[in-house]
Amino acid sequence: MLPSGCSRRLVAELQGALDDCAERQLQLEQSLRVSRRLLRAWEPAGILAPEPPLGPETKEEDPSPACTPSPQDLKELELLTQALEKAVRVRKVISKAGERDKAPSLKSGSFATSPGMTASAPTRAPGQAGSCTSEAKPTRGIHQTTVPAKGHPERRLLSAGNRARVGVEARATRPGPGLRDQHVGPSAAPQALEAFTLKEKGRLLQLPAAFRKAASQNSRLWAQLRSAQPRDSTDAAAAAKTQFLQKMQTASGRPGPVLSAVEVEAEVGRLQEACSLLSLRMKEELSAAPTDWTQEYHCLLTLEGLQAVTGQCLHRLQELHAALAEQPVGPCPMERPSRTPPPCGGAADPFWSPQLLLYSSTQELQTLAALRLRVAMLDQQVHLEKVLMAELLPLVSSQEPPSLALCRAVHSLLCEGGERFLTILHDDPADSPPPSPRPQDPVRESPLLPGRS
Amino acid sequence: MGRRRRLAGAVAEAGAGALPKVITALSQSLPAGPSPEIFRRAKFDRPEAAPALWQLLFRLLSPQSADGTSASPALEAQACWVKAALRSQGYPRLVLAQLPEDGSRGSRELLLALSWLLARGPLPERLLAQAHVQLGDEMPVCECEALASPGPRAPHVEAEGPVDIRCVQWLMGRLRFRWRCLITSQQEQCALLSKIHLYTRGCHSDQRLGHLSVAETEMLRDPEGGQQVRAGARVLAPGWACTPGPGPRSFWNDVRPGRGGADGGRSCAQLCSAFQLLRRLERENVGLEAALEWRRGELVFWRWMDTVLGACPPEAPAAATQPTVLPRIAGRGLGQLELAARELRALQEELCEASERRRAAWAVGGQGRGPQWRSARQALQKAVEQELAALRRAWEQDRGPARPHGPHRLVRREDEAPGGQYLRAAEVIQALRNQEACLEAALHRLQGQCRQELARLAGALPGLIWILPPGR
Repeated sequence: MLPSGCSRRLVAELQGALDDCAERQLQLEQSLRVSRRLLRAWEPAGILAPEPPLGPETKEEDPSPACTPSPQDLKELELLTQALEKAVRVRKVISKAGERDKAPSLKSGSFATSPGMTASAPTRAPGQAGSCTSEAKPTRGIHQTTVPAKGHPERRLLSAGNRARVGVEARATRPGPGLRDQHVGPSAAPQALEAFTLKEKGRLLQLPAAFRKAASQNSRLWAQLRSAQPRDSTDAAAAAKTQFLQKMQTASGRPGPVLSAVEVEAEVGRLQEACSLLSLRMKEELSAAPTDWTQEYHCLLTLEGLQAVTGQCLHRLQELHAALAEQPVGPCPMERPSRTPPPCGGAADPFWSPQLLLYSSTQELQTLAALRLRVAMLDQQVHLEKVLMAELLPLVSSQEPPSLALCRAVHSLLCEGGERFLTILHDDPADSPPPSPRPQDPVRESPLLPGRS
Repeated sequence: MGRRRRLAGAVAEAGAGALPKVITALSQSLPAGPSPEIFRRAKFDRPEAAPALWQLLFRLLSPQSADGTSASPALEAQACWVKAALRSQGYPRLVLAQLPEDGSRGSRELLLALSWLLARGPLPERLLAQAHVQLGDEMPVCECEALASPGPRAPHVEAEGPVDIRCVQWLMGRLRFRWRCLITSQQEQCALLSKIHLYTRGCHSDQRLGHLSVAETEMLRDPEGGQQVRAGARVLAPGWACTPGPGPRSFWNDVRPGRGGADGGRSCAQLCSAFQLLRRLERENVGLEAALEWRRGELVFWRWMDTVLGACPPEAPAAATQPTVLPRIAGRGLGQLELAARELRALQEELCEASERRRAAWAVGGQGRGPQWRSARQALQKAVEQELAALRRAWEQDRGPARPHGPHRLVRREDEAPGGQYLRAAEVIQALRNQEACLEAALHRLQGQCRQELARLAGALPGLIWILPPGR
């Protein structure tokens, strides 16, 4: 059994990692659900809200920006959608009951029309919306729904104007008021219409115009903002800013710049990297076999130099520790989850702005995503390895005599990532002469190191 | 010198109207920006301006909740928190720490604090990026956000009392299994995404994009159904205290009903219909335009801030000697520091041992000694010094060309995108492969260290045979 403090920390760490994974999995499953649904045949889900709330598009309106639909419009919209809903229900009932020949369908069409018609009437009655021609549009849209098009209902819808919203073709199954053509009957009957699938008709989709406008404006503005950035370094504003910061510093009466916790963390990160680079270098030097005295001397000097640098880094760490520790600590009123992200090295890009990532095939995308996950997993593994080392190694070394089960478990966790186990056999002195412990470098002789003996 | 005078003149000529305009633009580009009147009053240290500025600073510095879904804390708590946050970012002035937290005074100091934040980095742009409406299928190209995002996790089943090591083993096994599941699910999602992009080719009005994203297609399928559209991108740069805001993670996260912003700032997705989405886009455009105008006219603001700073009484040096107790912002600072210190100490021991050995061997050996080899030895010394200096530079400076980071919108196309900034998947894959190799090397190194350590301990146990598992 592990001591309780150690247990608590280890379990907390691992549980945290598990939660992290679980959350990613959850999000992924949600995305999967959405994507799968999109790739199936689209059922008429929900009620089509005709275009109107999406802002000014027509020339008839006065050029007031961002028309916000008045409450009246919203109410009318509500009425309209209720009417449509009702129409769908009625239509479904009727077409289920009736047969699918022209006469009854026409009748059903006209029957279904009336609720729709009555619905459109009240929407017109309350009159106008200020700058939004909201009522005019839905009826127009609905008329368009029923414009007959043998075999190509969707295309006609789109060509019928830039206001044709996509969902409309999926809603072609919905009957609208204002039937104009005989052909509408069968094609408008829900069962007869082929369901919309992305595979066959995806190319016909079109985003609503107001949306397109807003999105293009958005990307244009981001591009402008981004291009405004590089100028900053030579700008008078930049000079004014640095001057201001300096004045703030001197006016504060503090001797030197305060080390912010953020900067400390950044520096600690750098020192960690220093540690790994130094140890890498050390391994190179130790593994190189010097052939003559110059190389030997070089190696010696390098090692001593590395030692000096390491000492300096340690010293710096101690300074940072002191700096952190001297800030008096009080109770924290609120949680602040301030984990400074490790510097990504992107100092040249002071802020992120939307960019594109182009891929050319499914394979490439899968490779990319898989690699991302792998890097995340490896990073987590490295972190866990460090934590486990910090917790378990002292445990094993402090036990006298070390428990074999613990050794075996710790070995598997630390050296094999928990995937493989080693076997320990008692060497029975009766069978073979016991291996005498040799006085040389135990590292080289120990059987625990694979492939070395 | 002459240029400066000319600039100052130009600024003065811009007229009295320029300043309010610039301040209005600034306000509009910031979330919860106060009116220019507040700024003016703050210059004269009027007490009524203080609460608005406290709230603004809180909003700027705190991790963002989804547009106010969580109730904002009381003014005192906000003020206390703002003080601590500024302190942790290195705010130089001590007067701030001494301000009363009931919001009764100190507006000028708060104004200075705001300007300090503005001067240190492109604050409005970062905040806009955090709140950016993501319409596309976003994929982060770096792991920064994923590594840093875990907010305060609800303490799960805490191990009370000692556990067996087998429990630890079991948890590790579960973790491995979950990663495997994750990778499989994600491969499927990529395949689906690729199909959707393929099928909707030719639909998008924006030529660079060419096809719809899942969010857009979903919106067309069901405009009234709320889908969660992510907002924002983690905005990263070394040295900038990132307000840990909503992480994108949007590749995984197109629709998450009901989780909104309630999971501790980890994501900021709002349930929106097509209509609300449009509204959000339009609001963002307004903010972007305001930010552009702010950039154009900010020189006026800085001139004015100089006068504000001048109006402040000089800080008494005596105040500097009394550090006030401030709540400590919990970071992972100390823990990380100790981990780093431990590693460095271990390294130092190894180096000490190795260099002593080599020095002893050198002393015993017969070559290379004597005055005739002195110049050669000095040359070697110089060479080693230069190598070590180069090594130092490797970690002290920023890495060369900026590595791309942040979420990118996935676009499927084979040829070049017309204009604009874009990345190719092949490059990102290469960068990720390098990272993977580095991490694998690091992991193997650590495992090797463990092996050596355990071997040393095992060597102390005679009479046992250790049979290693079959190697990889």
